[in-house]
Amino acid sequence: MDVFKLKKRSSYPFETIAVAFAFSPRLENLLYEAKHYADTFKSNLILIHAGEKDLKKEETFDTLFNQIGFNKVKTKVIWMNGDPTETILDLCKLNIVDLLILGALEKENLYKYYVGSIARNISRRAKCSVLLLTSPSVAPKKIKKVVLNGTDNAKTVHTINTSIYFAKAEKIKELTIVQEIDMPTFTMTIAEGSTNSEVNKIKKDMLAEESQKLHHLIDKCYCPDILINIKSVNGKPGYAISNYAKTKNYDLLVINSPDSQLGFFDRIFTHDTEYILADLPCNLLIVHSRV
Amino acid sequence: MFKLNHTEFIGLLVAMGTMLILARLSSELARRLRIPIVAGEIFIGIVLGPSILGEFSSSTFNFLFPLKSNVGIALDGITQLSAVLLLFIAGMEVQMQLVLRQGKAAVYTSFLGMVIPFFIGWYFAFYFPNFFGMQFKDDEKFLFSLFMGTAMSISALPVIAKILMDTNLFRTKLGMVIIASAMLNDLVGWLIFSLIISLMGTGKSWSVILLDISIIIGYGVFMLTVGKKLIDKSLPWIQKKLSWPGGVLSLSLGVCFFSAALTERLGIHAVLGAFIAGIAIGDSVKLNEKAREIIHQFISNVFAPLFFVSIGLKINFVENFNLNITLIILVIAYSGKLIGASLGAKLGGFSNKESLAVGFGLNARGAMEIILGTLALEAGLINEVIFVALVIMALVTSITSGSALKWLANPREKIV
Repeated sequence: MDVFKLKKRSSYPFETIAVAFAFSPRLENLLYEAKHYADTFKSNLILIHAGEKDLKKEETFDTLFNQIGFNKVKTKVIWMNGDPTETILDLCKLNIVDLLILGALEKENLYKYYVGSIARNISRRAKCSVLLLTSPSVAPKKIKKVVLNGTDNAKTVHTINTSIYFAKAEKIKELTIVQEIDMPTFTMTIAEGSTNSEVNKIKKDMLAEESQKLHHLIDKCYCPDILINIKSVNGKPGYAISNYAKTKNYDLLVINSPDSQLGFFDRIFTHDTEYILADLPCNLLIVHSRV
Repeated sequence: MFKLNHTEFIGLLVAMGTMLILARLSSELARRLRIPIVAGEIFIGIVLGPSILGEFSSSTFNFLFPLKSNVGIALDGITQLSAVLLLFIAGMEVQMQLVLRQGKAAVYTSFLGMVIPFFIGWYFAFYFPNFFGMQFKDDEKFLFSLFMGTAMSISALPVIAKILMDTNLFRTKLGMVIIASAMLNDLVGWLIFSLIISLMGTGKSWSVILLDISIIIGYGVFMLTVGKKLIDKSLPWIQKKLSWPGGVLSLSLGVCFFSAALTERLGIHAVLGAFIAGIAIGDSVKLNEKAREIIHQFISNVFAPLFFVSIGLKINFVENFNLNITLIILVIAYSGKLIGASLGAKLGGFSNKESLAVGFGLNARGAMEIILGTLALEAGLINEVIFVALVIMALVTSITSGSALKWLANPREKIV
């Protein structure tokens, strides 16, 4: 494994896409989606199955492979035994994967949520960008509405640029960047004694400051031919944008990769990315900027 | 059934009206002077109480506040209820996810910002109880020293948040670390205080003590996991299907009272139940912000003034003021918090100047210290002299924090 190739590697273009598949009822749908994205981004494709290989599985897979019509030159199939999460993560690193595509249920049951499903565990730990598809289909639905998180973080520039790259490939004309405004203890502070005009001024100043920060980030991005809309939503980071994406029926939500490795404790006291993973509002692209 | 007679009922209404109106005027003055409004409320309590009005015109004092009659019992019930509600709204602002998001800086700051002041407070109280003018049996000394440790380690989130907002430091990395650390300090501080209360009374064996600790931790874990999930599930329904904002208001306060009653029944203290219920409800992303605001406004502007003014009505601040004890408590409070929290912030990656700013930020004790002191006084853990010294320490630390932060941290140097 050439780790040096991974470090500081740009989050786009998606030169190599990997798709992790299991022999579930959604296998065919997921493989059609894999072909769609490999064609869209003109990428090399790696199809990974972490689990036992037997004759029946091989036959099923070969039938689907031929039926979907994958480009045999640009597609590689890997079967490997082992713990699915670890195996898929290792193979992604080894093959310098830029985008890993996984099928994921919108919501897991409580037990699975705390223990962690394979798709969500990979999303928390992957060293490449991850696309979670909530409803893969044999006729991949065109992504039209994309919303991304404009959080004040060094990674956001890469996330915006990756979203623009994604939008161009999918011929999307506009992107919405959402700023989440969270003011912990604000309610308590104003109840401590503030006049209406003071509260309004604090809110106005804060919005102006946040807007300035986001514009500063957008200025660093190259976004010709794409209309960028900016929206502010109040609420806790992660939950606010997830709720926004759900109520406004977005097709894809794009967020930064987590700043630190998320664990069990982060699911008990849910925050940021965990709010989104707990109840996926739509397809989710987690951009790993490798910075 | 116990009932106030006609005259007593009028007395209660006059007392509450006087407390609320004068507390509002005094806190408005405090707000204009840019000092915490709790200082205004305490001040008016001292003016109206035995320290000043009672000294110069005892007949007026007894007319306005007939505390020796049944009115005193009714007022006492209201102030106890106020303490429960104040802890409920304090809990509502504790966000564990904010602590997790701030990472090691918040953990180091909070940990050392608690452990060092706790140790210094405990050490002086245990080995030099004479400094505080106290004479104890051994088990009483241990509980008193545990309390002094807790009193030195607690922070006051409301005052700190207000100071950070006024100094334009709120949305900086420094501000968020101070807020997150204060949240963790409050949580641990109230847990320890509850443990002290549960340990009170002689002859508890170690097995009983361990059981008390398990109950406190178990109840907290239950409410913050299962309880919180249930609240998360039911809040959207409550806010959508029941009348607004009445539904969420009455059910939230209902949960608070049940939780408070349960912890009181378990021999801990009602305030812990209210505090934990506050965390479980306030931490829910499903809680409508307007509902949060209504609960805060209602409690902060009705029950908080009644509570803080009543302190001055019960205690003679002039008679119980002891300069030496006050100075000792101030020195211990400043040194413990400044050393502990600053060291934690330094280990968390802040510069020397910023670390000192974090120390001063967390040094503000405000209302939380006063509530803690009041409950300790009622429980017989401390006497009036120490209580007065703690109130003064709470006010002095709160007033000086703002100026120190302004001096040490430049808000234009955003760290985020």
